[in-house]
Amino acid sequence: MVLLVLAAYPLLFIVSASLTRSSLGQPFQEFLGTENLRATIGSAAVQNSLLLGTGYAIGVALASTVLGTATAVALWRSLKSGVIIRTVLLLPMIVPPVVVGILFSFIFSPSGGLIDTLIKIVSPGSGTYAILSDTTWAIFGVALADVWEWTPLVVLLVFTALLGQDQEITEAAQLDGANGLQLFGHITLPMVAGTIAAAFLIRLILAFKVFDLVYVMTAGGPGSSTEVPAYLIWRSALQNFDVGTAASITLLLAVVATIVTLPVFWITKRHRHD
Amino acid sequence: MTDTLTHQQAIPAATATKAPRPSTLTRQGRRSRAGSLLASGWVLGAAVVVVVPLLYLVSISVMTQAQIASGILVPTDPAWQNWADAWNSPLPRGVLNSLIAAFGGAVLSLALAVPGAWTIARHRTGGKTLSGLILSPWLLPPIVAIVPLLTLLRMVGLSNTLTGLTLVYALMNVPVAIWLLDGFIRRIPVDIEESGRIDGANELQLLCRIVVPLLVPALIAVGVIIAILNYNEFLFATFLTQSEESQTVTVLLAGMLSERVQDFGRMAASSLIAVIPIFTIAVLLQRWLVEGLTTGAVK
Repeated sequence: MVLLVLAAYPLLFIVSASLTRSSLGQPFQEFLGTENLRATIGSAAVQNSLLLGTGYAIGVALASTVLGTATAVALWRSLKSGVIIRTVLLLPMIVPPVVVGILFSFIFSPSGGLIDTLIKIVSPGSGTYAILSDTTWAIFGVALADVWEWTPLVVLLVFTALLGQDQEITEAAQLDGANGLQLFGHITLPMVAGTIAAAFLIRLILAFKVFDLVYVMTAGGPGSSTEVPAYLIWRSALQNFDVGTAASITLLLAVVATIVTLPVFWITKRHRHD
Repeated sequence: MTDTLTHQQAIPAATATKAPRPSTLTRQGRRSRAGSLLASGWVLGAAVVVVVPLLYLVSISVMTQAQIASGILVPTDPAWQNWADAWNSPLPRGVLNSLIAAFGGAVLSLALAVPGAWTIARHRTGGKTLSGLILSPWLLPPIVAIVPLLTLLRMVGLSNTLTGLTLVYALMNVPVAIWLLDGFIRRIPVDIEESGRIDGANELQLLCRIVVPLLVPALIAVGVIIAILNYNEFLFATFLTQSEESQTVTVLLAGMLSERVQDFGRMAASSLIAVIPIFTIAVLLQRWLVEGLTTGAVK
Protein backbone atom coordinates (compact mmCIF):
# COMPACT_ATOMS: atom_id res chain seq x y z
CA MET A 1 0.00 0.00 0.00
CA VAL A 2 2.82 2.34 0.95
CA LEU A 3 4.47 1.40 -2.33
CA LEU A 4 1.35 2.26 -4.25
CA VAL A 5 1.24 5.73 -2.68
CA LEU A 6 4.93 6.16 -3.37
CA ALA A 7 4.45 5.31 -7.02
CA ALA A 8 1.24 7.25 -7.48
CA TYR A 9 2.32 10.45 -5.71
CA PRO A 10 4.56 11.89 -8.46
CA LEU A 11 2.01 10.94 -11.10
CA LEU A 12 -0.82 12.62 -9.20
CA PHE A 13 1.31 15.69 -8.67
CA ILE A 14 2.13 15.92 -12.37
CA VAL A 15 -1.51 15.54 -13.41
CA SER A 16 -2.78 18.14 -10.93
CA ALA A 17 0.05 20.57 -11.71
CA SER A 18 -0.73 20.34 -15.41
CA LEU A 19 -4.33 21.37 -14.71
CA THR A 20 -3.45 24.42 -12.63
CA ARG A 21 -1.36 27.56 -12.74
CA SER A 22 1.66 26.42 -10.79
CA SER A 23 4.98 28.08 -10.12
CA LEU A 24 8.02 26.55 -8.48
CA GLY A 25 7.34 28.12 -5.08
CA GLN A 26 3.56 27.94 -5.19
CA PRO A 27 1.92 25.00 -6.87
CA PHE A 28 -1.81 24.90 -7.59
CA GLN A 29 -2.60 28.62 -7.61
CA GLU A 30 -5.75 28.41 -9.69
CA PHE A 31 -7.55 25.77 -11.67
CA LEU A 32 -7.07 26.18 -15.41
CA GLY A 33 -8.55 22.98 -16.78
CA THR A 34 -6.91 21.96 -20.02
CA GLU A 35 -5.48 25.41 -20.80
CA ASN A 36 -1.87 24.38 -20.05
CA LEU A 37 -2.20 21.24 -22.08
CA ARG A 38 -3.72 23.02 -25.06
CA ALA A 39 -1.02 25.70 -24.95
CA THR A 40 1.79 23.13 -24.86
CA ILE A 41 0.31 20.97 -27.61
CA GLY A 42 0.05 24.06 -29.81
CA SER A 43 3.59 25.24 -29.06
CA ALA A 44 6.04 24.75 -31.92
CA ALA A 45 8.93 24.40 -29.46
CA VAL A 46 7.20 21.53 -27.68
CA GLN A 47 6.26 19.80 -30.93
CA ASN A 48 9.80 20.08 -32.26
CA SER A 49 11.23 18.84 -29.00
CA LEU A 50 8.93 15.79 -28.89
CA LEU A 51 9.75 15.00 -32.51
CA LEU A 52 13.46 15.37 -31.83
CA GLY A 53 13.19 13.26 -28.67
CA THR A 54 11.32 10.48 -30.47
CA GLY A 55 13.75 10.40 -33.39
CA TYR A 56 16.67 10.48 -30.98
CA ALA A 57 15.28 7.67 -28.82
CA ILE A 58 14.50 5.38 -31.76
CA GLY A 59 17.81 6.11 -33.49
CA VAL A 60 19.93 5.64 -30.40
CA ALA A 61 18.03 2.51 -29.33
CA LEU A 62 18.36 0.97 -32.80
CA ALA A 63 22.07 1.79 -33.05
CA SER A 64 22.76 0.40 -29.58
CA THR A 65 20.76 -2.76 -30.17
CA VAL A 66 22.29 -3.53 -33.57
CA LEU A 67 25.85 -2.78 -32.46
CA GLY A 68 25.31 -4.47 -29.10
CA THR A 69 23.85 -7.65 -30.60
CA ALA A 70 26.63 -7.84 -33.21
CA THR A 71 29.26 -7.45 -30.49
CA ALA A 72 27.58 -10.03 -28.27
CA VAL A 73 27.48 -12.56 -31.13
CA ALA A 74 31.11 -11.82 -32.00
CA LEU A 75 32.09 -12.26 -28.38
CA TRP A 76 30.22 -15.55 -28.22
CA ARG A 77 31.81 -16.81 -31.45
CA SER A 78 35.35 -15.81 -30.58
CA LEU A 79 35.31 -17.48 -27.17
CA LYS A 80 36.83 -14.54 -25.39
CA SER A 81 34.28 -14.50 -22.62
CA GLY A 82 36.90 -13.88 -19.97
CA VAL A 83 36.66 -11.67 -16.95
CA ILE A 84 38.73 -8.91 -18.55
CA ILE A 85 36.43 -8.34 -21.49
CA ARG A 86 33.36 -8.37 -19.22
CA THR A 87 34.95 -5.77 -16.96
CA VAL A 88 35.93 -3.60 -19.90
CA LEU A 89 32.35 -3.78 -21.14
CA LEU A 90 31.04 -2.70 -17.75
CA LEU A 91 33.13 0.46 -17.61
CA PRO A 92 31.17 2.84 -19.89
CA MET A 93 27.85 2.24 -18.19
CA ILE A 94 29.15 2.94 -14.72
CA VAL A 95 30.78 6.23 -15.72
CA PRO A 96 28.48 9.03 -14.53
CA PRO A 97 26.67 10.57 -17.55
CA VAL A 98 28.07 13.94 -16.46
CA VAL A 99 31.60 12.57 -16.92
CA VAL A 100 30.65 10.94 -20.24
CA GLY A 101 29.41 14.36 -21.37
CA ILE A 102 32.63 16.07 -20.31
CA LEU A 103 34.69 13.33 -21.99
CA PHE A 104 32.87 13.60 -25.31
CA SER A 105 33.02 17.40 -25.18
CA PHE A 106 36.81 16.95 -25.07
CA ILE A 107 36.71 14.45 -27.92
CA PHE A 108 34.61 16.78 -30.11
CA SER A 109 36.50 19.91 -29.07
CA PRO A 110 37.59 21.89 -32.17
CA SER A 111 40.82 22.99 -30.48
CA GLY A 112 42.89 19.88 -29.93
CA GLY A 113 40.09 17.36 -29.33
CA LEU A 114 40.62 13.70 -30.19
CA ILE A 115 38.68 13.82 -33.47
CA ASP A 116 40.18 17.17 -34.49
CA THR A 117 43.69 15.88 -33.79
CA LEU A 118 43.13 12.63 -35.67
CA ILE A 119 41.74 14.47 -38.70
CA LYS A 120 44.77 16.79 -38.67
CA ILE A 121 47.11 13.79 -38.59
CA VAL A 122 45.35 12.10 -41.52
CA SER A 123 44.99 15.25 -43.62
CA PRO A 124 47.08 18.15 -42.35
CA GLY A 125 45.76 21.60 -43.07
CA SER A 126 42.10 20.61 -43.18
CA GLY A 127 39.55 22.84 -41.46
CA THR A 128 38.30 22.38 -37.91
CA TYR A 129 35.09 20.56 -37.14
CA ALA A 130 33.08 21.87 -34.21
CA ILE A 131 30.47 19.12 -34.12
CA LEU A 132 28.75 20.29 -30.96
CA SER A 133 28.31 23.86 -32.27
CA ASP A 134 26.64 22.72 -35.48
CA THR A 135 22.83 22.81 -35.51
CA THR A 136 22.62 19.63 -37.62
CA TRP A 137 25.41 17.56 -36.10
CA ALA A 138 25.24 18.46 -32.40
CA ILE A 139 22.47 15.94 -31.71
CA PHE A 140 24.53 13.21 -33.38
CA GLY A 141 27.43 14.10 -31.09
CA VAL A 142 25.17 13.63 -28.07
CA ALA A 143 23.80 10.41 -29.57
CA LEU A 144 27.30 9.03 -30.06
CA ALA A 145 28.13 9.62 -26.39
CA ASP A 146 24.84 7.95 -25.44
CA VAL A 147 25.50 4.93 -27.66
CA TRP A 148 29.01 4.62 -26.23
CA GLU A 149 27.69 4.63 -22.69
CA TRP A 150 24.77 2.19 -22.96
CA THR A 151 25.57 -0.25 -25.80
CA PRO A 152 27.58 -2.41 -23.35
CA LEU A 153 24.35 -3.12 -21.46
CA VAL A 154 22.86 -4.62 -24.63
CA VAL A 155 26.05 -6.63 -25.20
CA LEU A 156 25.92 -7.99 -21.67
CA LEU A 157 22.25 -8.98 -21.80
CA VAL A 158 22.42 -10.64 -25.24
CA PHE A 159 25.74 -12.34 -24.49
CA THR A 160 24.36 -13.88 -21.31
CA ALA A 161 21.30 -15.08 -23.20
CA LEU A 162 23.53 -16.66 -25.87
CA LEU A 163 25.51 -18.51 -23.21
CA GLY A 164 22.35 -19.67 -21.49
CA GLN A 165 20.58 -21.11 -24.52
CA ASP A 166 19.62 -24.73 -24.67
CA GLN A 167 22.50 -26.62 -26.28
CA GLU A 168 20.42 -29.71 -27.04
CA ILE A 169 18.26 -27.92 -29.60
CA THR A 170 21.32 -26.55 -31.36
CA GLU A 171 22.95 -29.96 -31.44
CA ALA A 172 19.78 -31.59 -32.76
CA ALA A 173 19.63 -29.03 -35.57
CA GLN A 174 23.29 -29.70 -36.38
CA LEU A 175 22.61 -33.41 -36.63
CA ASP A 176 19.78 -32.61 -39.02
CA GLY A 177 22.38 -30.94 -41.23
CA ALA A 178 21.85 -27.24 -40.52
CA ASN A 179 24.95 -25.24 -41.45
CA GLY A 180 26.39 -22.37 -39.45
CA LEU A 181 24.33 -19.62 -40.99
CA GLN A 182 21.07 -21.58 -40.95
CA LEU A 183 21.74 -22.59 -37.39
CA PHE A 184 22.24 -19.01 -36.37
CA GLY A 185 19.26 -17.62 -38.27
CA HIS A 186 16.73 -20.30 -37.40
CA ILE A 187 17.79 -21.54 -33.98
CA THR A 188 20.13 -19.19 -32.14
CA LEU A 189 18.60 -15.86 -33.10
CA PRO A 190 14.97 -16.83 -32.33
CA MET A 191 16.10 -18.16 -28.95
CA VAL A 192 17.59 -14.85 -27.91
CA ALA A 193 15.08 -12.65 -29.76
CA GLY A 194 13.13 -11.99 -26.57
CA THR A 195 16.25 -10.74 -24.83
CA ILE A 196 17.15 -8.53 -27.78
CA ALA A 197 13.65 -7.04 -27.75
CA ALA A 198 13.85 -6.45 -23.99
CA ALA A 199 17.25 -4.80 -24.34
CA PHE A 200 15.83 -2.56 -27.08
CA LEU A 201 12.95 -1.63 -24.79
CA ILE A 202 15.24 -0.69 -21.89
CA ARG A 203 17.44 1.27 -24.26
CA LEU A 204 14.45 3.11 -25.75
CA ILE A 205 13.25 4.21 -22.32
CA LEU A 206 16.73 5.36 -21.27
CA ALA A 207 17.09 7.38 -24.49
CA PHE A 208 13.70 9.07 -24.03
CA LYS A 209 14.90 10.36 -20.68
CA VAL A 210 18.29 11.69 -21.81
CA PHE A 211 19.13 14.86 -19.87
CA ASP A 212 22.58 14.90 -18.26
CA LEU A 213 24.44 14.48 -21.57
CA VAL A 214 22.54 17.34 -23.20
CA TYR A 215 22.97 19.54 -20.13
CA VAL A 216 26.73 19.01 -20.09
CA MET A 217 27.52 18.84 -23.81
CA THR A 218 25.27 21.37 -25.52
CA ALA A 219 22.80 22.92 -23.02
CA GLY A 220 20.07 22.35 -25.60
CA GLY A 221 21.90 24.36 -28.23
CA PRO A 222 23.06 25.57 -30.61
CA GLY A 223 19.71 27.33 -30.93
CA SER A 224 17.25 24.67 -29.86
CA SER A 225 18.78 21.93 -32.01
CA THR A 226 19.41 19.55 -29.10
CA GLU A 227 16.48 20.57 -26.89
CA VAL A 228 15.20 17.09 -26.06
CA PRO A 229 11.95 16.83 -24.05
CA ALA A 230 13.62 16.24 -20.67
CA TYR A 231 15.74 19.35 -21.19
CA LEU A 232 12.72 21.43 -22.25
CA ILE A 233 10.81 20.28 -19.16
CA TRP A 234 13.75 21.17 -16.95
CA ARG A 235 13.95 24.61 -18.55
CA SER A 236 10.27 25.39 -18.06
CA ALA A 237 10.20 24.13 -14.50
CA LEU A 238 13.47 25.39 -13.10
CA GLN A 239 14.45 28.33 -15.30
CA ASN A 240 11.03 29.77 -16.11
CA PHE A 241 9.50 28.47 -12.84
CA ASP A 242 6.40 27.42 -14.78
CA VAL A 243 5.61 24.05 -13.23
CA GLY A 244 2.17 23.89 -14.87
CA THR A 245 3.69 23.94 -18.34
CA ALA A 246 6.50 21.58 -17.33
CA ALA A 247 3.95 19.08 -16.01
CA SER A 248 1.94 19.37 -19.23
CA ILE A 249 5.01 18.63 -21.35
CA THR A 250 5.79 15.67 -19.08
CA LEU A 251 2.30 14.29 -19.72
CA LEU A 252 2.67 14.76 -23.47
CA LEU A 253 6.04 13.04 -23.36
CA ALA A 254 4.44 10.19 -21.40
CA VAL A 255 1.82 9.79 -24.14
CA VAL A 256 4.38 9.92 -26.97
CA ALA A 257 6.77 7.55 -25.17
CA THR A 258 3.92 5.11 -24.48
CA ILE A 259 2.81 5.14 -28.13
CA VAL A 260 6.36 4.41 -29.28
CA THR A 261 7.16 1.88 -26.54
CA LEU A 262 3.94 -0.14 -26.47
CA PRO A 263 4.49 -2.09 -29.73
CA VAL A 264 8.00 -2.99 -28.57
CA PHE A 265 6.60 -4.00 -25.20
CA TRP A 266 4.07 -6.33 -26.87
CA ILE A 267 6.74 -7.90 -29.04
CA THR A 268 8.90 -8.47 -25.97
CA LYS A 269 6.03 -10.11 -24.12
CA ARG A 270 5.11 -12.38 -27.01
CA HIS A 271 8.67 -13.66 -27.26
CA ARG A 272 8.76 -14.30 -23.54
CA HIS A 273 5.71 -16.53 -23.70
CA ASP A 274 6.93 -18.65 -26.60
CA MET B 1 32.59 -20.92 -20.56
CA THR B 2 31.83 -24.61 -20.98
CA ASP B 3 28.83 -23.72 -23.13
CA THR B 4 30.94 -21.85 -25.63
CA LEU B 5 33.50 -24.62 -25.67
CA THR B 6 31.00 -27.28 -26.63
CA HIS B 7 29.55 -24.97 -29.24
CA GLN B 8 32.89 -24.36 -30.87
CA GLN B 9 33.73 -28.03 -30.94
CA ALA B 10 30.30 -28.95 -32.24
CA ILE B 11 30.70 -27.09 -35.52
CA PRO B 12 33.48 -29.22 -37.04
CA ALA B 13 31.69 -32.33 -35.79
CA ALA B 14 28.53 -31.30 -37.63
CA THR B 15 30.32 -30.50 -40.86
CA ALA B 16 32.03 -33.87 -40.68
CA THR B 17 28.65 -35.61 -40.95
CA LYS B 18 28.37 -34.14 -44.43
CA ALA B 19 31.55 -35.86 -45.55
CA PRO B 20 30.17 -37.18 -48.89
CA ARG B 21 30.71 -33.78 -50.44
CA PRO B 22 34.27 -32.79 -49.64
CA SER B 23 34.17 -29.53 -51.63
CA THR B 24 31.37 -28.16 -49.44
CA LEU B 25 33.26 -29.26 -46.38
CA THR B 26 36.36 -27.25 -47.16
CA ARG B 27 34.39 -24.23 -48.30
CA GLN B 28 32.37 -24.32 -45.13
CA GLY B 29 35.41 -24.84 -42.99
CA ARG B 30 37.01 -21.83 -44.55
CA ARG B 31 33.90 -19.73 -44.13
CA SER B 32 33.66 -20.72 -40.50
CA ARG B 33 37.29 -19.83 -39.88
CA ALA B 34 36.81 -16.50 -41.65
CA GLY B 35 33.75 -15.97 -39.45
CA SER B 36 35.76 -16.57 -36.30
CA LEU B 37 38.42 -14.18 -37.51
CA LEU B 38 35.79 -11.56 -38.25
CA ALA B 39 34.27 -12.12 -34.81
CA SER B 40 37.61 -11.72 -33.05
CA GLY B 41 38.32 -8.60 -35.07
CA TRP B 42 34.94 -7.16 -34.15
CA VAL B 43 35.49 -7.89 -30.44
CA LEU B 44 38.91 -6.27 -30.59
CA GLY B 45 37.42 -3.24 -32.36
CA ALA B 46 34.70 -2.93 -29.74
CA ALA B 47 37.24 -3.11 -26.93
CA VAL B 48 39.27 -0.35 -28.60
CA VAL B 49 36.17 1.84 -28.99
CA VAL B 50 35.38 1.38 -25.29
CA VAL B 51 38.89 1.93 -23.99
CA VAL B 52 40.27 4.70 -26.24
CA PRO B 53 37.97 7.50 -24.93
CA LEU B 54 38.85 6.55 -21.35
CA LEU B 55 42.58 6.53 -22.10
CA TYR B 56 42.15 9.88 -23.85
CA LEU B 57 40.66 11.24 -20.63
CA VAL B 58 43.70 9.99 -18.71
CA SER B 59 45.96 11.60 -21.28
CA ILE B 60 44.17 14.97 -21.06
CA SER B 61 44.38 14.87 -17.28
CA VAL B 62 48.17 15.18 -17.47
CA MET B 63 48.28 17.89 -20.16
CA THR B 64 48.43 21.64 -19.82
CA GLN B 65 46.00 23.81 -21.76
CA ALA B 66 48.74 24.64 -24.27
CA GLN B 67 49.62 20.99 -24.81
CA ILE B 68 45.97 20.12 -25.50
CA ALA B 69 45.57 22.97 -27.99
CA SER B 70 48.79 22.02 -29.82
CA GLY B 71 47.11 18.77 -30.90
CA ILE B 72 49.24 16.10 -29.23
CA LEU B 73 47.62 12.95 -27.89
CA VAL B 74 50.21 11.75 -25.37
CA PRO B 75 52.26 14.37 -23.53
CA THR B 76 56.02 13.78 -23.24
CA ASP B 77 56.13 15.95 -20.16
CA PRO B 78 53.14 15.01 -17.94
CA ALA B 79 51.56 17.89 -16.03
CA TRP B 80 50.77 16.23 -12.69
CA GLN B 81 49.76 19.64 -11.38
CA ASN B 82 46.21 19.01 -12.70
CA TRP B 83 45.80 16.11 -10.28
CA ALA B 84 47.12 18.13 -7.36
CA ASP B 85 44.75 20.98 -8.25
CA ALA B 86 41.82 18.59 -8.48
CA TRP B 87 42.69 16.96 -5.16
CA ASN B 88 43.09 20.28 -3.34
CA SER B 89 39.54 21.39 -4.05
CA PRO B 90 36.10 20.54 -2.66
CA LEU B 91 36.21 17.46 -4.93
CA PRO B 92 37.29 14.75 -2.41
CA ARG B 93 34.55 15.97 -0.11
CA GLY B 94 32.10 15.63 -3.00
CA VAL B 95 33.24 12.07 -3.69
CA LEU B 96 32.72 11.20 -0.03
CA ASN B 97 29.26 12.82 -0.05
CA SER B 98 28.35 10.89 -3.17
CA LEU B 99 29.49 7.60 -1.68
CA ILE B 100 27.53 8.19 1.53
CA ALA B 101 24.33 9.14 -0.30
CA ALA B 102 24.77 6.35 -2.84
CA PHE B 103 25.32 3.48 -0.42
CA GLY B 104 23.07 4.83 2.34
CA GLY B 105 20.30 5.21 -0.23
CA ALA B 106 20.90 1.76 -1.68
CA VAL B 107 20.73 0.01 1.72
CA LEU B 108 17.49 1.82 2.59
CA SER B 109 16.02 1.04 -0.84
CA LEU B 110 16.72 -2.65 -0.34
CA ALA B 111 15.24 -2.65 3.16
CA LEU B 112 12.06 -1.12 1.76
CA ALA B 113 11.99 -3.21 -1.40
CA VAL B 114 12.59 -6.76 -0.11
CA PRO B 115 9.23 -7.20 1.67
CA GLY B 116 7.44 -5.60 -1.28
CA ALA B 117 9.22 -7.65 -3.91
CA TRP B 118 8.63 -10.86 -1.94
CA THR B 119 4.94 -10.15 -1.52
CA ILE B 120 4.53 -9.35 -5.20
CA ALA B 121 6.53 -12.33 -6.44
CA ARG B 122 5.01 -14.90 -4.07
CA HIS B 123 1.47 -13.86 -3.41
CA ARG B 124 0.84 -12.26 -6.79
CA THR B 125 -0.59 -9.27 -4.95
CA GLY B 126 -2.12 -6.86 -7.42
CA GLY B 127 -1.05 -9.00 -10.36
CA LYS B 128 0.64 -7.50 -13.37
CA THR B 129 -1.05 -4.12 -13.00
CA LEU B 130 0.72 -3.44 -9.72
CA SER B 131 4.21 -4.31 -10.89
CA GLY B 132 3.56 -2.23 -14.00
CA LEU B 133 2.33 0.73 -11.96
CA ILE B 134 5.27 0.52 -9.56
CA LEU B 135 7.76 0.91 -12.36
CA SER B 136 5.79 3.50 -14.32
CA PRO B 137 7.41 6.59 -12.70
CA TRP B 138 10.74 5.27 -13.91
CA LEU B 139 9.56 5.69 -17.49
CA LEU B 140 9.23 9.45 -17.14
CA PRO B 141 11.96 12.06 -16.78
CA PRO B 142 12.02 12.73 -13.04
CA ILE B 143 12.25 16.51 -13.34
CA VAL B 144 8.72 17.38 -12.33
CA ALA B 145 8.88 15.03 -9.35
CA ILE B 146 11.57 17.32 -7.96
CA VAL B 147 9.01 19.97 -7.15
CA PRO B 148 6.91 18.02 -4.63
CA LEU B 149 10.09 16.51 -3.18
CA LEU B 150 11.66 19.90 -2.66
CA THR B 151 8.53 21.12 -0.87
CA LEU B 152 8.44 17.98 1.25
CA LEU B 153 12.10 18.25 2.26
CA ARG B 154 11.72 21.91 3.12
CA MET B 155 8.79 21.06 5.40
CA VAL B 156 10.80 18.52 7.38
CA GLY B 157 13.89 20.76 7.37
CA LEU B 158 16.08 18.44 5.34
CA SER B 159 16.64 20.52 2.22
CA ASN B 160 20.31 21.06 1.39
CA THR B 161 21.41 18.20 3.57
CA LEU B 162 22.99 14.91 2.65
CA THR B 163 20.37 13.12 4.76
CA GLY B 164 17.62 14.59 2.60
CA LEU B 165 19.32 13.49 -0.61
CA THR B 166 19.95 10.00 0.80
CA LEU B 167 16.27 9.64 1.69
CA VAL B 168 15.21 10.82 -1.77
CA TYR B 169 17.56 8.29 -3.42
CA ALA B 170 16.22 5.57 -1.13
CA LEU B 171 12.59 6.22 -2.10
CA MET B 172 13.36 6.86 -5.75
CA ASN B 173 14.94 3.45 -6.32
CA VAL B 174 12.49 1.25 -4.44
CA PRO B 175 10.59 0.47 -7.68
CA VAL B 176 13.82 -0.34 -9.53
CA ALA B 177 14.93 -2.56 -6.63
CA ILE B 178 11.62 -4.42 -6.59
CA TRP B 179 11.80 -4.92 -10.34
CA LEU B 180 15.37 -6.22 -10.24
CA LEU B 181 14.79 -8.45 -7.18
CA ASP B 182 11.70 -10.06 -8.69
CA GLY B 183 13.73 -12.31 -11.00
CA PHE B 184 15.87 -13.54 -8.10
CA ILE B 185 12.99 -14.22 -5.73
CA ARG B 186 11.20 -16.32 -8.36
CA ARG B 187 14.26 -18.56 -8.49
CA ILE B 188 13.92 -19.53 -4.81
CA PRO B 189 12.04 -22.84 -4.73
CA VAL B 190 8.64 -22.40 -3.10
CA ASP B 191 9.16 -25.74 -1.32
CA ILE B 192 11.70 -24.19 1.04
CA GLU B 193 9.20 -21.57 2.15
CA GLU B 194 6.43 -24.19 2.38
CA SER B 195 8.47 -26.36 4.71
CA GLY B 196 9.22 -23.32 6.84
CA ARG B 197 5.52 -22.56 6.99
CA ILE B 198 4.72 -26.14 8.03
CA ASP B 199 7.29 -25.82 10.81
CA GLY B 200 5.20 -22.95 12.13
CA ALA B 201 7.09 -19.88 11.00
CA ASN B 202 5.00 -16.76 10.54
CA GLU B 203 5.39 -14.45 7.53
CA LEU B 204 7.96 -12.20 9.21
CA GLN B 205 10.10 -15.12 10.37
CA LEU B 206 9.82 -16.64 6.92
CA LEU B 207 11.08 -13.42 5.38
CA CYS B 208 13.94 -12.80 7.83
CA ARG B 209 15.14 -16.36 8.42
CA ILE B 210 14.59 -18.00 5.04
CA VAL B 211 14.11 -15.53 2.20
CA VAL B 212 16.69 -12.88 3.09
CA PRO B 213 19.59 -15.32 3.73
CA LEU B 214 18.87 -17.00 0.38
CA LEU B 215 18.81 -13.61 -1.30
CA VAL B 216 22.22 -12.37 -0.10
CA PRO B 217 23.95 -12.59 -3.52
CA ALA B 218 20.96 -10.89 -5.13
CA LEU B 219 20.97 -8.16 -2.50
CA ILE B 220 24.65 -7.46 -3.17
CA ALA B 221 24.04 -7.40 -6.93
CA VAL B 222 21.00 -5.16 -6.83
CA GLY B 223 22.48 -3.01 -4.07
CA VAL B 224 25.60 -2.28 -6.11
CA ILE B 225 23.57 -1.44 -9.21
CA ILE B 226 21.42 1.00 -7.26
CA ALA B 227 24.43 2.50 -5.50
CA ILE B 228 26.03 3.17 -8.90
CA LEU B 229 22.80 4.72 -10.20
CA ASN B 230 22.76 6.96 -7.12
CA TYR B 231 26.43 7.84 -7.39
CA ASN B 232 25.96 8.90 -11.02
CA GLU B 233 22.76 10.84 -10.38
CA PHE B 234 22.95 14.52 -11.18
CA LEU B 235 19.59 16.23 -11.57
CA PHE B 236 18.20 15.67 -8.06
CA ALA B 237 21.57 16.35 -6.50
CA THR B 238 21.83 19.83 -8.07
CA PHE B 239 18.53 20.88 -6.58
CA LEU B 240 18.63 19.14 -3.25
CA THR B 241 22.25 19.93 -2.33
CA GLN B 242 22.97 23.59 -2.93
CA SER B 243 25.28 24.10 0.04
CA GLU B 244 28.95 23.36 -0.47
CA GLU B 245 29.29 20.83 2.33
CA SER B 246 26.47 18.67 0.94
CA GLN B 247 27.28 18.84 -2.79
CA THR B 248 27.90 15.56 -4.55
CA VAL B 249 30.65 14.93 -7.05
CA THR B 250 28.48 15.11 -10.18
CA VAL B 251 27.23 18.54 -9.09
CA LEU B 252 30.80 19.75 -8.60
CA LEU B 253 31.86 18.41 -12.00
CA ALA B 254 28.94 20.01 -13.82
CA GLY B 255 29.73 23.23 -11.95
CA MET B 256 33.21 23.28 -13.50
CA LEU B 257 31.58 23.65 -16.92
CA SER B 258 30.17 27.05 -15.99
CA GLU B 259 33.54 28.43 -14.86
CA ARG B 260 34.69 31.38 -16.92
CA VAL B 261 37.93 29.76 -18.04
CA GLN B 262 37.57 26.03 -18.46
CA ASP B 263 40.68 24.15 -17.46
CA PHE B 264 40.38 20.91 -19.45
CA GLY B 265 43.28 19.23 -17.67
CA ARG B 266 41.89 19.83 -14.19
CA MET B 267 38.39 18.81 -15.34
CA ALA B 268 39.76 15.55 -16.72
CA ALA B 269 41.71 14.84 -13.52
CA SER B 270 38.61 15.63 -11.44
CA SER B 271 36.46 13.35 -13.63
CA LEU B 272 38.94 10.52 -13.11
CA ILE B 273 39.03 11.05 -9.35
CA ALA B 274 35.23 10.85 -9.42
CA VAL B 275 35.27 7.65 -11.45
CA ILE B 276 38.01 5.76 -9.58
CA PRO B 277 35.88 4.72 -6.54
CA ILE B 278 33.09 3.20 -8.63
CA PHE B 279 35.50 1.59 -11.08
CA THR B 280 37.20 -0.08 -8.13
CA ILE B 281 33.90 -1.29 -6.72
CA ALA B 282 32.73 -2.50 -10.12
CA VAL B 283 35.92 -4.41 -10.85
CA LEU B 284 35.89 -6.07 -7.42
CA LEU B 285 32.21 -6.95 -7.61
CA GLN B 286 31.87 -7.45 -11.35
CA ARG B 287 30.55 -11.00 -11.03
CA TRP B 288 27.65 -9.82 -8.85
CA LEU B 289 27.10 -6.77 -10.98
CA VAL B 290 26.75 -8.77 -14.18
CA GLU B 291 24.54 -11.28 -12.40
CA GLY B 292 22.27 -8.54 -11.11
CA LEU B 293 21.95 -6.84 -14.49
CA THR B 294 21.25 -10.00 -16.44
CA THR B 295 18.93 -11.77 -14.00
CA GLY B 296 17.13 -8.67 -12.87
CA ALA B 297 16.60 -6.71 -16.04
CA VAL B 298 15.57 -9.50 -18.41
CA LYS B 299 13.31 -12.13 -16.97
